[in-house]
Amino acid sequence: MTDPNDDMLDDLLAEARRQAPTPSDALLARVIDDALPPPHKAPRQTWDFITPLFDVIGGWPSAGGLVAATLAGLWLGIAPPAAVQDLAASALGTPVTVGIFSDELAFDMGGLADG
Amino acid sequence: MNAAVIGGDFLPPVICTFGMRAIAKQQMNTKLDQLVGVSDADLLVAFAEGNAQAARDLTARLLPRVLAQAVRMLANQAEAEDVAQEAMIRLWKIAPDWRKGDALVSTWLYRVVANLCTDRLRKRRTSMSLDQIAEPQDDTPDVVARMQTQARLRALSDALAQLPERQAQAVALRHLEGLSNPEIAQVMDISVRSVESLTARGKRALADVLAGRKAELGYDDD
Repeated sequence: MTDPNDDMLDDLLAEARRQAPTPSDALLARVIDDALPPPHKAPRQTWDFITPLFDVIGGWPSAGGLVAATLAGLWLGIAPPAAVQDLAASALGTPVTVGIFSDELAFDMGGLADG
Repeated sequence: MNAAVIGGDFLPPVICTFGMRAIAKQQMNTKLDQLVGVSDADLLVAFAEGNAQAARDLTARLLPRVLAQAVRMLANQAEAEDVAQEAMIRLWKIAPDWRKGDALVSTWLYRVVANLCTDRLRKRRTSMSLDQIAEPQDDTPDVVARMQTQARLRALSDALAQLPERQAQAVALRHLEGLSNPEIAQVMDISVRSVESLTARGKRALADVLAGRKAELGYDDD
C-alpha cells in the first residue's frame, strides 16, 4: 500500500519536471551582453576616458583646428612679422629702441615716443 | 528555385528539385555534423579566445536548461531568470581559466545553478511570511487550473527551502532534473552512497513538510 503523501509528492515532482520554460528574447540579450566583449579584452576600456572628452571638444574637425591654431601661435612667437611687432609697440605705448628697423622706415625714435 | 524556373522548359523540374534538395541536405548535414562535433568545453575555449559566435552558440545551447533548472527549484520566473543570468556570467568569467578534462561544462553549471537556487531558498526561508496564494481573478477553468498548478509548484519550492541545503540539492537534481546518482555525485562532489542517503532522507522530509498542505493544494479528495 502506497503512502498518499508519497503519491502527492510524486505528482508535484512530476508537475515541476514538466516545466520547460523558453528563455525570453530579453534574457537572451542580457546574457549575450554579459558575454561580449570577452573578459580578457577588458583593459581596452581605458580609452573610455578619452573618447568622451574628445567628443566634447567637437571630434576630429575641432582637434584639427586646435592643432593649426597652436602651430600658428608658435610660429608667430618664433618669427613674428614686422607688422605684429609694430602693432604690439603701438598698443603698449613704449618706444622701440632695438635696432631691428632700418633707416628707410618712415618713423624714428621721436615719432614713436609718447604716442 | 531560380534554376528550376529558368530551366523548367528544358530540364524536368523533378531532376532540378531533387538536385537542389540533395545539395541543401548535404550542406545542412555538414553544418549539423560540425555542431555535433563541438563540445561545450571547445566552445568555451573558443569564447575565451575572443570568438563571439561561440558565446552565442553556448547561450543557445545551455541557457534553456539552466533556466529550466532554476524555474523548477524556485517556481518563480523572475528569480529563475536572475539565477540563470548569474550562472552564465560565472561561466563567462571562468572561461579563460577553463581546463579541458576537469569537468563537463554541464556538470559545472548544474552545481552553480543548484548553489544559486539554494542561496535564494535560504533567503526565502528566513523571510517567509506565509505568503497567501492569490485568489483567481477569473473563474474560468483554465485560469483556475493554472493558478492551482502555480500554487503547487510554489509549495514544492517552499518545501525544498525547509530542507537542509545538501538534501534540497540532491532531491532537486534527482527528482526534478532526472540525473542519475553517479551524475549527482559528480555535481555535488560526494560519493554515490552519500547521494543515496541524501535523496532518501530529503524526499522523506519533503513529503512530511508537504503533508500539512494537502487540502490547500487540492489533494484532500484523493
